[in-house]
Amino acid sequence: MNRFYTITLQCLLLVALTFMVAAGQEDAIEEKYSVWIGSSYTDFTDYTKKIGEYRNGDDEFLPEFSIDYLSRGINHIFSLNGNYRDENNIMADMASKIGDGFSAGFKYRSLYKLAGQDLLTNLETREASGGKILTHEILDPGADYYVHRKEVESNFNLRISKKNNVRLTAAHRTTLQSGNEQHLANSHCFSCHITSNTATIDKITHQIMAGLQADIGKSKVGYQFAYRIFESEAPLTYANYDEAKHPVNGGSAAEFSSRLLFDGVAMAAGEYANTEKLSHKVTFKGNAGNSSYGSSIGYSKATNKNNDLSSSAISGSAFYATSLAKLTRLIAKFSVAKLEVDDFNVDLPLFRDGRPGIPMDFDFTRYSSLNRVDLRGSVELISRLNKKMTASISAGLRSIDREYYPAENSDATTTLFGQAKLRYRKGMEYSASFKYRFESTSNPFTSARGLFEARGRSVLNPVDGTSFVYYWQREALRYQDITTAPTQAHILDLTSTWRPNNKVNLNFGFKAKYDKNGDLDSLDVSHFSMQPSLAVNVNLDQKWAVSLGGSYGYNKSRGPVAIALFDG
Amino acid sequence: MYTDAVSDPNDPLGPFEAVHYGSAYAMTDYETKSQNLYLTTSYIYSPKLKFHGMVGYNKSTAAMDQVVFPDLTARLYDEINDVTDLDHQDFTFLHMHDYSNLDYQLLNFSLGLEYMLSKDVVWTADGEYADLKDNEGYVYGIESGSMFMIRSGIRFVF
Repeated sequence: MNRFYTITLQCLLLVALTFMVAAGQEDAIEEKYSVWIGSSYTDFTDYTKKIGEYRNGDDEFLPEFSIDYLSRGINHIFSLNGNYRDENNIMADMASKIGDGFSAGFKYRSLYKLAGQDLLTNLETREASGGKILTHEILDPGADYYVHRKEVESNFNLRISKKNNVRLTAAHRTTLQSGNEQHLANSHCFSCHITSNTATIDKITHQIMAGLQADIGKSKVGYQFAYRIFESEAPLTYANYDEAKHPVNGGSAAEFSSRLLFDGVAMAAGEYANTEKLSHKVTFKGNAGNSSYGSSIGYSKATNKNNDLSSSAISGSAFYATSLAKLTRLIAKFSVAKLEVDDFNVDLPLFRDGRPGIPMDFDFTRYSSLNRVDLRGSVELISRLNKKMTASISAGLRSIDREYYPAENSDATTTLFGQAKLRYRKGMEYSASFKYRFESTSNPFTSARGLFEARGRSVLNPVDGTSFVYYWQREALRYQDITTAPTQAHILDLTSTWRPNNKVNLNFGFKAKYDKNGDLDSLDVSHFSMQPSLAVNVNLDQKWAVSLGGSYGYNKSRGPVAIALFDG
Repeated sequence: MYTDAVSDPNDPLGPFEAVHYGSAYAMTDYETKSQNLYLTTSYIYSPKLKFHGMVGYNKSTAAMDQVVFPDLTARLYDEINDVTDLDHQDFTFLHMHDYSNLDYQLLNFSLGLEYMLSKDVVWTADGEYADLKDNEGYVYGIESGSMFMIRSGIRFVF
């Protein structure tokens, strides 16, 4: 906490210092500031945490304060805006610019958010004859969940040499989150007993970025380094996992226990991964005649410090833009990224070790489906048809080739798209735009495990040495690819603005999207959404202004709901 | 065939024969709707006195169609014993689709004024009322509640 305030104070002083140096060198041609001092009183009725999600105070007066300051000279501009609403809701924004050689900014945000408690009421059922069971238990009734988020952000841009316009940039952001959150723990399926408890939130994130850029002839080159670290300093939350036994008669403890990694014990649960990420990026931009071009190469590596597992990415991108004719422009873009995630072996105790029959070894190596090569490319042609209309058409593709993809159809996921856009403008009176986009995807990512199960009776055989068929054998019965990703998508976007005179302004918008997947046998998975909106602004006279409007949002998803037909 | 049941001769429920007939599915629609209406206004009564106000209304709903599974009688037929199995299980799920229903109505109303006491001093006063009506109560229970807030202060302009 002290480190957070030290960083905040240092950033604040640094930006303020640059302003004082600049302001001391010249007289301000404009300087204005205002201070507001007041108080607010808030009263809640019934349930507070939804209607008062971002509000502090109940049935009490709280002091408030705000300040706005602006100083502008021939060679400098400095602004400060701050608002103190209560001890947890504070905002400050400071910016300073001195000529073309230096600029700096500082922001501070403090926000308090209340959260409700999941009452788990739907997680309660019991099979009619008394077998399968699902229960819940709130161990922290009436808990006060909240998160207090504080963020300090600063950035600097310094020209260190006029020759070649060499500039140094640096930025920093620290985020601190504290409070309480709900933590759920689920005992294994022998009891399906879900418990709720309170976990402490104490998270901190630091991000720094530094870069250097310079002009070389008509080209601009740059290098950027970034480092991010996330740590949770909250004490571990422990959950009590039930002792394995029959949920109805309490017997067969040895058999149930032999199938589990742990039972009848308190274990640390819900631990956050402490992570760090570093990245390097080199950029290049240039111009030649009517054309411009650029490219970038990047490398990043993220590590989970709890278990030393890492993921890395190498990426590259390029663009080329040129004028084909006086009013026609072509833009081509291409990017490629290769992502790799460490594999790791999951070492499990033997399943049913010491029980009748042969124990099973379920050790496995986890390969990530994030291991992939991601290719993207697009071409866009923009042409001004006349003084009122501009049209553009574009086409492109995206291909994701996964290294580890256990699905039956493991070809790369490839999306082709085409887009047409038309913009119309009639002076200041009327403007409109229309966009239609079509996407076609082959082999969208699917679950490799299958959503459905085939009939197991008379198909599965008891495990050697026992008279039972076990749940794990049902994996062999699973079938049916399933995904929410579409194979076809249609996207429409329409906007229109009409200004019949200086007093009236009317805006209309309509967005819609329909997508479906036709590759899932008889499963007609589809999504449809639309959002019309209308806004009218009227200045009735020099004294009275009115704005009114509305929007309607509609979303519909169609998908399968599957149930298992079994007993036991 | 026993499916993963712990066979205990003393089990009051068994040993029982557990059977497995695969899975069944039904296609179902899920809809969300959101309507927003607003009106804001500002009025300069005199060089010294200004008013502003806002009314907002939002209604949001979410609902799943009833999940209607096909007739499972044939699927659950036990050809060995010539009976329909799992007759103690209820696969109709008559109320499952209601579990995730949402139905909120939110009304916001605010009114404020600024009165110039002198060239450099302005008095401000604002009031806000918000009322949330939760007709379903899903994860967090019924979340209906209302809020009333007043704020007043003095702004010094330099």
